[in-house]
Amino acid sequence: MPLQFAKFLRKITATVVVGRSSFQVEAADKGKFSEEFVEKSAVAYMKEEFAKKNGFKEGDVVRLTRNGRSVNLRVAIADYAPDDGVFIPNSIYASYLADFDGFKRFEASLEPADGDVTKPEEIIQKMLK
Amino acid sequence: MFTCPGCSCLCDDIVVKTEDGKISVRNACRRGAGIFLNHNLSRAKPKVNGKETDFDDALEKARELIQQSKSLAIYGLDTTTLEAQKLAIELAEKKEAFIDDNSSFCLGDFVEMILKGELPTATFDDVRDYAYVIVYWGVDPYHSLSRHLSRFSYYPRGKKRQRGYEEDRFLVVIDVRRTHTAMLCKKNAKFFQVRDDLELINAFNQVLDGKAPSIFPQDIPRVVKEMEKSDFNVIFGGLGLKYGLKGNYDMFKEFMGKLNARTNVYFIPAGCHPNMRGFNELMFEKTGSVNKYSFKDGKSSNDFAFYNLLKNDLIDTALVIGTDPLNSLPFEYAKKLAKINTIVVDPRVSFTSEIADVVLPSAISGVESGGTMVRADGVRVELKPVFEREINDEFILKKLLEVV
Repeated sequence: MPLQFAKFLRKITATVVVGRSSFQVEAADKGKFSEEFVEKSAVAYMKEEFAKKNGFKEGDVVRLTRNGRSVNLRVAIADYAPDDGVFIPNSIYASYLADFDGFKRFEASLEPADGDVTKPEEIIQKMLK
Repeated sequence: MFTCPGCSCLCDDIVVKTEDGKISVRNACRRGAGIFLNHNLSRAKPKVNGKETDFDDALEKARELIQQSKSLAIYGLDTTTLEAQKLAIELAEKKEAFIDDNSSFCLGDFVEMILKGELPTATFDDVRDYAYVIVYWGVDPYHSLSRHLSRFSYYPRGKKRQRGYEEDRFLVVIDVRRTHTAMLCKKNAKFFQVRDDLELINAFNQVLDGKAPSIFPQDIPRVVKEMEKSDFNVIFGGLGLKYGLKGNYDMFKEFMGKLNARTNVYFIPAGCHPNMRGFNELMFEKTGSVNKYSFKDGKSSNDFAFYNLLKNDLIDTALVIGTDPLNSLPFEYAKKLAKINTIVVDPRVSFTSEIADVVLPSAISGVESGGTMVRADGVRVELKPVFEREINDEFILKKLLEVV
């Protein structure tokens, strides 16, 4: 069984800013269930300093949790991320965590995760329950 | 030349050519080019209860659901034409249904203030010709309105702005993070990284009242001084501003009033949906309100916003046209769509189409069917189709209208 280093890293509270990404909007036209859409949507963009400080690196999978709901996203380093948290594109992932009190900006817990990013189908299944 | 229906800029200088089945697009941004280049990808198929069927069968089921509905909501419509929007409004009126679009949680409040004459506004063409200080507040046009700066605001030379952005424009970006647009703020520019928009407005008001500002003590007086150099300045407000105001619209209008006592500062909404303003204008002409309207009650109310209708279990059927609420609405609202009859009219496979009772595939408005849309600044723009598709939103809505 591989060592699960993720569980030794800590959970923090981070600001999540939601906004447009033209790359992701372009991918939506190619198909919202396509690998490209998931690759461009299931992303947590963070500044290099923020990532280093909290033990993350490009390509890691992290879990964002808010109001008991979680999504797994892949870390990407970007200088346009907020200073104290992550930027995520408008998508089913953001909508799964958001409410109208925190539609474009909210606090969520951020922690390392094992496995792959959440697929849109998994969120849809939760809607059907 | 064609018009791109990718966002509310509605760029009308797009060149699309097809040779040997290969499409080439010139002048469009990444998003716009993608709409034309990928128009055949991920197309919706007619479905009833998750199973593929023929279009007539799906249409018949949709007509049946609408006919039987005791409480119908029509929702979306911001990506379709004025002609289709008019039919949807007619359908809602005849059925005494609710009707709403994305603007009820997007920029509809700002559009309503403009239509009521509560905020001074201008056109993109005026901005290009005359604007000096250009403020992007809570919006990142680099990603959401990619040609906004190059066609209408910062970069182009205009009648009174012949020396270009290096000398004849002053760019201000206000955001919670250093966006790609904010990164353009170098010479003749200022980026305000804010945590609280209301605090920033208060600080501007302090300067306008002749006091020292509580934050940005050098930069706010500088921006006000720059605005006073010109008789034409503009604020483009996005969703960041809307949610940053936390409903304090009177405070924003008062701030705009104070600015306009010193010089001319116009406001233009900077939202993405290509024809959101069109829907708002049609509704305003018909009802005096821009969205979240109940034809049964004869009024607009927050209770009639589509997300609140879902939350409060007030509808038995939703007709969703050209939008994907599972992608854009918070989960606690969107999940209710799975519990009611949902009819989706959309050119492409969407998350909502996966849970819908009926899916009616349609043409991409502006790409495969023509019509009229209204730009974010209120200018009407004609769209002609590049490709033809027989079944479009107008066709479907006419068929649905027959049963009410």
